[in-house]
Amino acid sequence: MDQIMVFQMMVSGAFMGLVYALVAYGFQLTYATGKSINFGQGELVMVSAFICLSLTNLGLPYGIMVLLGLLCGALLGLFVERSAVRLALEQKSEGWILLTIILGLLFFSVSENIWGRDDRPFPTPISSDAFQVFGISVTPVEISVAIGVFFIMGLIELFKRQTLLGKAFEAVSTDRDAAELMGISANRTVMLSYAISGVVAAMAGVLISPITTVGPTMASALVLKAFSVAVVAGLDSGFGVVAVGIFLGILESLTSYYIGSGWREVPGLTLLILALALRPTGIFGKAVIRKV
Amino acid sequence: MLIVKNLHAGYGTSEVLTGVSLAVKQGALVALIGPNGAGKTTTMRAISGLVKPARGEVFIDGRPVQGMDASRIARLGLAHSPEGRKVFGTLTVEDNLLLGAYSNLPKFFGFRKKSAKDLERVYDLFPLLKNRHLQSAGTLSGGEQQMLAIGRALMANPKVMLMDEPSMGLAPVIIEEVFTIIRRLKKEGITLLLVEQIAKRALEVADFAYVMERGHIVAEGTPAELHKNESVLEAYLGEVSSVV
Repeated sequence: MDQIMVFQMMVSGAFMGLVYALVAYGFQLTYATGKSINFGQGELVMVSAFICLSLTNLGLPYGIMVLLGLLCGALLGLFVERSAVRLALEQKSEGWILLTIILGLLFFSVSENIWGRDDRPFPTPISSDAFQVFGISVTPVEISVAIGVFFIMGLIELFKRQTLLGKAFEAVSTDRDAAELMGISANRTVMLSYAISGVVAAMAGVLISPITTVGPTMASALVLKAFSVAVVAGLDSGFGVVAVGIFLGILESLTSYYIGSGWREVPGLTLLILALALRPTGIFGKAVIRKV
Repeated sequence: MLIVKNLHAGYGTSEVLTGVSLAVKQGALVALIGPNGAGKTTTMRAISGLVKPARGEVFIDGRPVQGMDASRIARLGLAHSPEGRKVFGTLTVEDNLLLGAYSNLPKFFGFRKKSAKDLERVYDLFPLLKNRHLQSAGTLSGGEQQMLAIGRALMANPKVMLMDEPSMGLAPVIIEEVFTIIRRLKKEGITLLLVEQIAKRALEVADFAYVMERGHIVAEGTPAELHKNESVLEAYLGEVSSVV
């Protein structure tokens, strides 16, 4: 019985880990092109989730609500890029760190005022009635998280590999100047990466809301862990985040099972500190040799 | 085709170019030579927009382009094969070439079909790239990467092509190959501005040449005229004077 319980914890942890991986993937996208990330990414997840909730309350069908939610995510991403990141990058400053944090706080207060402070359930047509697989109970909602994560990541990877625009995305990531010489606008590519990153955040919001409920603070812990995952995996390694995300999710749920739920944030932060101290480029990351 | 007037540019507060003027006529091969640190590469970068000129003008096909983003200048018909080659190492050889034609191709689907003719032409010029078209560019040797960088610049069918130090870091045999290619491009009528450290080789292929020193042009003329100019040879082309 006890063993089954442990497996059960691991499985639910792994599903949560996939969401960390998805948000971490969003960090990678913008880091690749603009060498910057949105520290308010968690607020994008939250605002998109609230918008989706409002759209559902308007009576829109689930599918259309998701599509509109993703579109809002893209627009929010573009807004962050235009109003915070680009201002800093144009002056070659690291100011985007502070600006994106501030923008996140702004999103936070605005949502509190519009939608209130309470956590609200997120209606979904996908059932949360558990079924048993080898004695472990899994819910369709959890399965939908896994499908959603792999679907959106697969779609973006396909875009990057199969379209010329995607290859241009890679080119800007590798060498911004050389890409500019090909007629590829680095600015526009950075914008695109923020839009896609916003879509990813919105997707994360849609996927976890049925599990976590929707509230202003729903993503603050999530984004910190996603950041740990991105740093541990390496900000430039595509699918490393999936492995690290699942690992962290499992580690967390085991920690809260064996030590106590108050300790569940500890493994992520410990991993982050260890990674920064021992291997700043990440487990899967490439060491960067900077030519001067 | 390419006209540069009184170009000033630099990095931060240090001014590297103090008034460079030059012209490249359609179909001509013009060489820009001079010692290390003279500002040859900065001239190239200021023309293509990677460095924003502080003052001065750049015209491509009669159109002023100074101050524009590099990507915009590239779309207006300037190709720049940069110093150090700068191929996209993680992408395949073919992807590198496709990106060379980026501005002329559809961005989502059908770009392979539309670029087929240009790809064929580049593969014809560099059969070696065809054999390796699926290999990632980072695994190529230095010489192969140089061929790729030139091929990539050609893919855009540019009005003007800048080629910065194509011989840099290459073995003598490979340098020979690179210059064979340059001669072939010249025969095809491509308008070319060539920066070269090995002044002797550059003067062999060029129609006209500028000599640069400490941020400005100190001499200009056809290779024959420059060869007659003993003081230029002595002062600025140490390498040439010892060979000539």
